[in-house]
Amino acid sequence: MSNKNPPLSDKALEVARRIGSLRDFLEFLKENGQCINWSEEVYPEPDIRNVAVAAGRDSMNGPAVIFDNIAGYPGKKMVLGVHGSFTNIALLLGHPKGTTIKELFYDIISRWGADEPLLDFIEPDKAPVNENRLTSNFNLYDLLPLYRINEYDGGFYIGKANVVSRDPRDPDNFGKQNVGIYRIQVQAPGEFTLLSVPAHDMGRHIMAAEQEGVPLKISVMLGNHPAMCMFAATPIGYDESEFAYASQMMGSPMRLTKSGNGMDILADSEMVIEAELMNGVRSFEGPFGEFPGSYSGVRKIPRFKVTAISHRNDPIFENIYIGRGWTEHDTLIGLNTSAPIYAALIKDFPEVVAVNALYQHGLTGIISVKNRFAGFAKSVAMRALGTPHGTMYLKNLIMVDDDVDPFDLNEVMWALSTRTRAEDTIVIPNMPMIPIDPAAEVAGKGHRLIIDATSFMPPDKLGSDSKIVTPPAGPEIDAIAKVIQMLQNGGQS
Amino acid sequence: MSTCPRCQAEENKIRVEHKGLNAQGELVWTIFNCESCAFTWRDSEPATTIDYDKREEFFRVDPEKPYPVIMPPAQYK
Ligand SMILES: [Zn+2]
Repeated sequence: MSNKNPPLSDKALEVARRIGSLRDFLEFLKENGQCINWSEEVYPEPDIRNVAVAAGRDSMNGPAVIFDNIAGYPGKKMVLGVHGSFTNIALLLGHPKGTTIKELFYDIISRWGADEPLLDFIEPDKAPVNENRLTSNFNLYDLLPLYRINEYDGGFYIGKANVVSRDPRDPDNFGKQNVGIYRIQVQAPGEFTLLSVPAHDMGRHIMAAEQEGVPLKISVMLGNHPAMCMFAATPIGYDESEFAYASQMMGSPMRLTKSGNGMDILADSEMVIEAELMNGVRSFEGPFGEFPGSYSGVRKIPRFKVTAISHRNDPIFENIYIGRGWTEHDTLIGLNTSAPIYAALIKDFPEVVAVNALYQHGLTGIISVKNRFAGFAKSVAMRALGTPHGTMYLKNLIMVDDDVDPFDLNEVMWALSTRTRAEDTIVIPNMPMIPIDPAAEVAGKGHRLIIDATSFMPPDKLGSDSKIVTPPAGPEIDAIAKVIQMLQNGGQS
Repeated sequence: MSTCPRCQAEENKIRVEHKGLNAQGELVWTIFNCESCAFTWRDSEPATTIDYDKREEFFRVDPEKPYPVIMPPAQYK
């Protein structure tokens, strides 16, 4: 499928070649006014949380924030909000400030579906991540400026780690190697818990290791290439490699090396923590303020022991604020949640125009579709519920016509106001649901809602005598809107 | 900090995890961990997080209570 993708723009390739690591990206963001240093002294709690929430208010243009003066952590650096705004993501993909979410969606779609790996392997002794290596006396509380993300979290969380694991029954299979973002709670200076469930790739690896009594080794990558973070959180197939996806999306090779415990890791990450599952051990974990905006409760979950740590000189600890939305979590995964749903639907229904699943990892989604006949949009909605991500996440679906931009909520509300009959609302009871959805009937089970807000088509006669006003629209008007924006900004784009 | 802010475990269950120093080597804060309920805290945090009486009751933990176990290892036996 890769050869069908249109070539990336010169600017996109130029940016991709320049950015090989978190450090490169922070420098690039700074040049573009999208990264600031917070150099006034902060206490880990509550100051970092306060700054993170304030910086995250502007989901369109908020900056990344580097903390370099944290009380009790002299000389240590921490960064939040690297993916905290759509402008930061636009810059990563080679677009200017002012790029719309819809434009970003179509860009990601145009890069989607290719899995030709663009990977360079480099020797471990030449990898920057190995500039420093610890093999004993681990103290995560000292190495990382850890802090409580939300006030009732059960402890200090690493919220943006990319965790590499291999299927312990098929350890040589590169494709079955998984990179995912799992929440990590530090439980002791050299131990942590990692939350996964049987449906996750990591959950399968944990169960396989414990069933067969074999070790499960993982590598936890911190402070990574910004494309890696976007794709580690993307629902792709079990046999597909996140490294391949991330490199293909950027159109430029990613540098990999081998960790001390045999995983492929990014050569330029800030830190890699190698660890091993403590087979059969379960420890208290949580609560943790999760992406639906509520705390997930206390549970007993698998625990890991650190076996080695590699890190660059003066490593930067990258973390995320997550909680009641809008937060960096929503920006980080929103477009990459929307794209695979679109890619799955378009195979059967080329009438699908766009998918907006930005809201809480797709708990609410809006799909625009060219209606073929009365009721058609409902069939598309049913298909969306059957996509891999839709099965667990798509709880509320709003279907709109192809003349409605699903990323423009004013237009979506117009469709709801003028094209929706109460009868065109479908509730499907007792469906699977993510366990941390606070609106679930019981954890893991609840009802789905489809609102068909598309216009009436034959043989449906309702509304057939109303004619819609057609104001000027299209690329020409979009261009004028950008000129107006530029004039308003005093001639600066 | 003699008892756990979350489960009121006694001092012998509380482990000192790490002491944060400033550039001059002076103590700024200390991190503790409760071996009964796995709560981790820093003594410089707001009282609403680390004072048992000021914390929201909802977030108290009773380690004797059965909490959900993720992927219970017993299922393989
Ligand atoms: Zn306790």
